[in-house]
Amino acid sequence: MLDYKSSSESPTPCNKPTKMSGKNTTNRKTLGRGICIITGASKGFGRALAHEVFHLLEPGSVLLLVARSGTLLQELKEEMQSFTDKQQLVVHCVATDLSTKEGVNETVKVARQEAVNEIDHVFLINNAGSLGDISGFESLTDLEKVNSYLSFNVSSPLALTAGILQVFPCRSGLRWSVVNVSSVFALQALPSWALYCTAKAARKMMFSVLAEEEPNVKVLSYSPGPLDTDMQEEIQRLTGLSYRLFPCQESAAKLMELLLDNNFASGTQVDFLEV
Amino acid sequence: MSSTECRDLGRALCIITGASRGFGQTIARNMSRLVKPGSVLVLVARSGDDLRALQAELAESEAGRVGLVVECVVADLGQPDGLEAVVRRSQESFSEDLDHIILVNNAASLGDVSRYVKSFTNMAEVDSYLSLNVTSSLCLTASILQAFPQCPGLRRTVINITSLCALQPFRSWVLYCTGKAAREMIFRVLAEEEPDLRVLNYSPGEERSLHSSLASQSKTADPTIRKSFSDMFAQGQLLTCEESCAKLMKVLLDDNYTSGAHIDIYDL
Repeated sequence: MLDYKSSSESPTPCNKPTKMSGKNTTNRKTLGRGICIITGASKGFGRALAHEVFHLLEPGSVLLLVARSGTLLQELKEEMQSFTDKQQLVVHCVATDLSTKEGVNETVKVARQEAVNEIDHVFLINNAGSLGDISGFESLTDLEKVNSYLSFNVSSPLALTAGILQVFPCRSGLRWSVVNVSSVFALQALPSWALYCTAKAARKMMFSVLAEEEPNVKVLSYSPGPLDTDMQEEIQRLTGLSYRLFPCQESAAKLMELLLDNNFASGTQVDFLEV
Repeated sequence: MSSTECRDLGRALCIITGASRGFGQTIARNMSRLVKPGSVLVLVARSGDDLRALQAELAESEAGRVGLVVECVVADLGQPDGLEAVVRRSQESFSEDLDHIILVNNAASLGDVSRYVKSFTNMAEVDSYLSLNVTSSLCLTASILQAFPQCPGLRRTVINITSLCALQPFRSWVLYCTGKAAREMIFRVLAEEEPDLRVLNYSPGEERSLHSSLASQSKTADPTIRKSFSDMFAQGQLLTCEESCAKLMKVLLDDNYTSGAHIDIYDL
């Protein structure tokens, strides 16, 4: 049923950026001196993104890692510590629940506190998301269950993106990038997956409207492909299906490459399996 | 001498949300003429007075006089008791000689079209919009399908009133576009999941319709969109609810649309 393209040959090895050794890297593209916010950073794709992004941020940059688990975020911060210290990158762990307005507000507040530094790039990655009930349409009779799902997966990234846009208003000299971690199922309907498809379709549209409204904000909906995450483990357990999964790191590296090349039209969706 | 095909939608139980005015009201009137005697219309809206006026009008009409039953359910579909009231009334109104269940998910709201994405910092506001425009139609549809499961001799048709805005982003219309995109996907998934169900995503051209353009003209923030509405109005390119509804009825009667596909009045 799941229609993932799988190549019969082994995946192309990705060009992992070489670790910056402190040498002058002006001939390499970077993400500038930025504030980078990653939601759902404690595990899976979000965690892999954190590992990829810090190589590409210049000294003085700030990385905000947002998730519910303070413990996992702290572990992640420590994993990157020796490098981030050397590169003068500040890492904040924001342990909060983005399914609540308090969580969204807390994240915006921490970002605002960091706005004192001179930055040339605001980079928001809306990665946090959940699978929802995939047992079938007729199990979706409960208003609260559906409202709660849409709140976390749609309202929250909209409110967060709006909040961060207000903290860092567009101005010349400020690069603004927003990533929506999307899915092929934002475009393709999958039986039994009404909640997930609906939220992904909603997000895709929401970020497309943002792209229309803000010519100075580069918006990318990125479909990361089927990855070796807890979410996929849950999917395979619930559906009994087994199919090829890609390492998060590979897809995260591909996303970084797309952002550095900056060749995509704002608002479009790009799929890991097609680049 | 031309032969007139006598086509109808069967002896139906037809539930219409947002039936008290606008397109929903027009659908109710058109449906009443296309269902056989003994059919039931269940009209749902939050406004009791308008619903009852419509009910009275339909009772007096020809359809009413030959046996169309019209029920009103004054309900907020965003509340569990509202949803349950619709399902219950539908179940109570059902009888074994009915051969068609039709659910028309029409109720929706425009949202604030005077503001941009960056202004939606209030999560509760977005939640509330999604609750009315997305959640209620999903849960109502799931509940009705559960109440009226597939069985031989019973056709089931689910209609979602969608929009070009489900497919195309418009500046300053984030809530409306997002809600329509979400809704359309719900019904696309449903169509994939239930191949015996007829699912129609019908776009009535409301983004241009006379009804909404006048309201939108003063409310839309974006000057380009405002201008394009007033140009369309000036050039007579806008449709009335009646014109758009007539096309919807024809699509239903022809019954050869692809279940789940986006059917736009301007493509017909």
